[in-house]
Amino acid sequence: MIVAKDLKKHFKVHKRPPGFGAAVKSLFHRTYETVKAVDGVSFTIERGERVGFLGPNGAGKTTTLKVLAGLLHPTSGDATVEGFVPFQRSPELLSKITLVMGQKSQLIWDLPPSETYAMNRAVFDVPRAQFDATLKELTELLELGDLVDKPTRQLSLGERMKCELAAALLHQPTTLFLDEPTIGLDVAMQVAIRDFVRSYNQRHSATVLLTSHYMDDVVALCPRIIVIDRGTLIHDGDLRGLVKQMDPDKRVSFTVTTPLPGGPGCDDETLAKLGTVLAKDGKRITLRVQERELPSVVGELLGTLAVADLAIEDPPLEDILRKMFGKVHK
Amino acid sequence: MRKYLRLAAIQLRISLASAMAYRANFLIEGVMATASLGLTLLPLIVLYGVRADVNGWDLPSALVVMAYFTGLRAVLEGLISPSLVDLVERIRSGSFDYVLLKPVDAQAMVSASRYEPWKVFDLLGAIALLIYAFYKRGSAPSPAEIGLGMGLFVAGALAMYALWIVCAAASFWVGRLDNLMYLLGAIFDTGRWPVMVLPGAWRFIFTFVIPIAVMTTFPAMALLGTLKATTALATIGGTFALLVVSRLVWRAAIRSYTSASS
Amino acid sequence: MKSQLSRTVRALPTLLRIGVAETVAYRAEFIVWILTTTQPLIMMSLWTSVARGGSFKGYDADAFVAYYLATLLVRQLTGNWVAWQMMEEIRMGTMAMRLLRPIHPFVTYTASQVAALPFRSIIALPLVVILLVTSASSGVTHDPMQLAMFPLSIAMAWLITFAILFAIGSLAFFLTQTMAIATLYFGLFSLFSGYLLPLDLLPTPIAKIAAVLPFRFTLSVPVEIITRTLPHGELARLLAAQVAWTVALIAFAVWLWNAGVRRFESVGT
Repeated sequence: MIVAKDLKKHFKVHKRPPGFGAAVKSLFHRTYETVKAVDGVSFTIERGERVGFLGPNGAGKTTTLKVLAGLLHPTSGDATVEGFVPFQRSPELLSKITLVMGQKSQLIWDLPPSETYAMNRAVFDVPRAQFDATLKELTELLELGDLVDKPTRQLSLGERMKCELAAALLHQPTTLFLDEPTIGLDVAMQVAIRDFVRSYNQRHSATVLLTSHYMDDVVALCPRIIVIDRGTLIHDGDLRGLVKQMDPDKRVSFTVTTPLPGGPGCDDETLAKLGTVLAKDGKRITLRVQERELPSVVGELLGTLAVADLAIEDPPLEDILRKMFGKVHK
Repeated sequence: MRKYLRLAAIQLRISLASAMAYRANFLIEGVMATASLGLTLLPLIVLYGVRADVNGWDLPSALVVMAYFTGLRAVLEGLISPSLVDLVERIRSGSFDYVLLKPVDAQAMVSASRYEPWKVFDLLGAIALLIYAFYKRGSAPSPAEIGLGMGLFVAGALAMYALWIVCAAASFWVGRLDNLMYLLGAIFDTGRWPVMVLPGAWRFIFTFVIPIAVMTTFPAMALLGTLKATTALATIGGTFALLVVSRLVWRAAIRSYTSASS
Repeated sequence: MKSQLSRTVRALPTLLRIGVAETVAYRAEFIVWILTTTQPLIMMSLWTSVARGGSFKGYDADAFVAYYLATLLVRQLTGNWVAWQMMEEIRMGTMAMRLLRPIHPFVTYTASQVAALPFRSIIALPLVVILLVTSASSGVTHDPMQLAMFPLSIAMAWLITFAILFAIGSLAFFLTQTMAIATLYFGLFSLFSGYLLPLDLLPTPIAKIAAVLPFRFTLSVPVEIITRTLPHGELARLLAAQVAWTVALIAFAVWLWNAGVRRFESVGT
């Protein structure tokens, strides 16, 4: 279980304007300003939940994660992870958590991942039998094959990420902090990693905290979403709730076939009666329709207009977030 | 404790494997060790070609100091420096965070992260020099002197390590400090001379402020039988104090890193 | 070709300014580099202590002080770390970026090393003052011709040092063990350039070798010009030899670089 109460993290950053004079001046005197990376964030996460952190760049997601992992001391506020205070970094807690940072690697660069695994086994004091069993399970789930015996620098980004995940899970942690784990990976690999994380979460009842820029990661993996912007929490709940709250209208898309003889065509006027036209891509049209009007609109489309490939969807998450952050930014 | 030994053993195995990977290393390191020894000896040879004695130190006794210097440098470049370079790199790339996430003392983990096994050649050179020095002297040290000499060598290595930790801690605060090991090497260079040979002010600095000369001169004196018991004890005490201070500085550095990093 | 040259010239002020900014940004690192060149001070204290018991092979205490202060001065003004810089860039992969720029890397590297000179000069200035004002001034030449040629000699020493280090850095395109070569170079340099000991104190066979190697012209020659009394014929010979080495080594360095880049482009990192 993870609890954050009014968590704050402020940084002092050195500011230097460009130019020669300023460069020389900064030799002798530096000016600092305070950056409020996390400014009062509270939430409670139960064991076994999968939670996604969303927010624009610089919102404070990674900083929050680092505070929870014990890498940073909070400026004020409380955090507990599995009953421990993270920044005290007790060995017991460290053996239960893991942090995977998509942008930084823990694998030894010049050596095969198997050497890093050996190191981690020694570091976490994992009994031989348990280690072998875990490694076998991870190798199968992640389809590592003989990747672990090639020097890390020879692996592709996707292969490295898989080995990275294995390294992070060898000690069977029960809390996973994943910071942009799929960054830079192709779609197939992203899907593979999502599937793996879900499967690990289900097998071991491990709590998963995920930050990602890829909406698909969060949507596919996390039933609960926490939205952070400029260091403050602006939404905490499930995806459907977020969507409904921000934009209750549905998206109806369809493909136009030849209009029925005698019936109205799919011209702009007709469409406007049904809802707001969002996109018109050749014969594929997307409308924005209020939820209560759905039955009549759908009836109209299927009956009178005889469209094909009808789809009714929630608005895309990107639009929601753009709307949300647009709201906050004013 | 056993965990740390196992960790060090794994690191040693990894470093040996890396070192063996390039067969050319063997030759290069042998050549470097010989060249380095020759360079170290040259000023001595020049000096003692003209003078028989400098401030009470004749050639054989100066050679003993030189031998200790060479041996300690082998330890520095073989056991201590490689890990420092590794640490600085980890801090730069951000993967130092992962060290903090392991349930192992961070200082222990970074101190044992890499070795240069080939420096054993330099160590052998130091021992050869030592034997030659005593041969020239015409007498061998007593077992007690040997014991004290070895003990102080270890103390010297530990003091060197403590200084290294303090420098590594500095890189946390200052940011990029890739050439740290060159600094340590440059400071350490002063240890090749018996400290008495240096003039007053330097003698003071290198005995009490940055005790490099102490690491080489005093152990040499122990082996030569000219070290007072009180000085020996003071050296050991000083080493211990240095280790404590370095630990405190390291912990302060970690505290600073985890409050200011992003 | 002409536009390439003019483009390079126009870019120089900016290159230099950014080099300065870089140096300042990593001020601690810069200080460390300065501190690593303090070996002459140690040597100086050793030899002056020795010379107090009587002059050593023609050098009295003042002569040693003058020699090592001059060595320190020249070292501060000619030292650069371009080999290390190049090795890092190749290792980190940022060398590719540098190759994409339309200005020859020899120039860009020169600019970034030259940019450190103002700061190094600040360190060097006190040394000059000490040299001129203290008793060591007896070890400094009074010949106006020699004094006039001193800056020229330093400039050439800088170029020779840079060329050699640039060549060593270029070796990183071919070998992985360039660090060891750089260390070996510094060892040879400290011996044969007079950094460790005045060349005329070395045992004769070694001194003979030192006289014909380029290292002498990276340090000892400028130091000799400022501390000895040289007949003008000798002065002219030394300077001419320096010019020859400068040209030869720059040509060699650029050639080696080009070979390295060809290999780099065909093989990758």
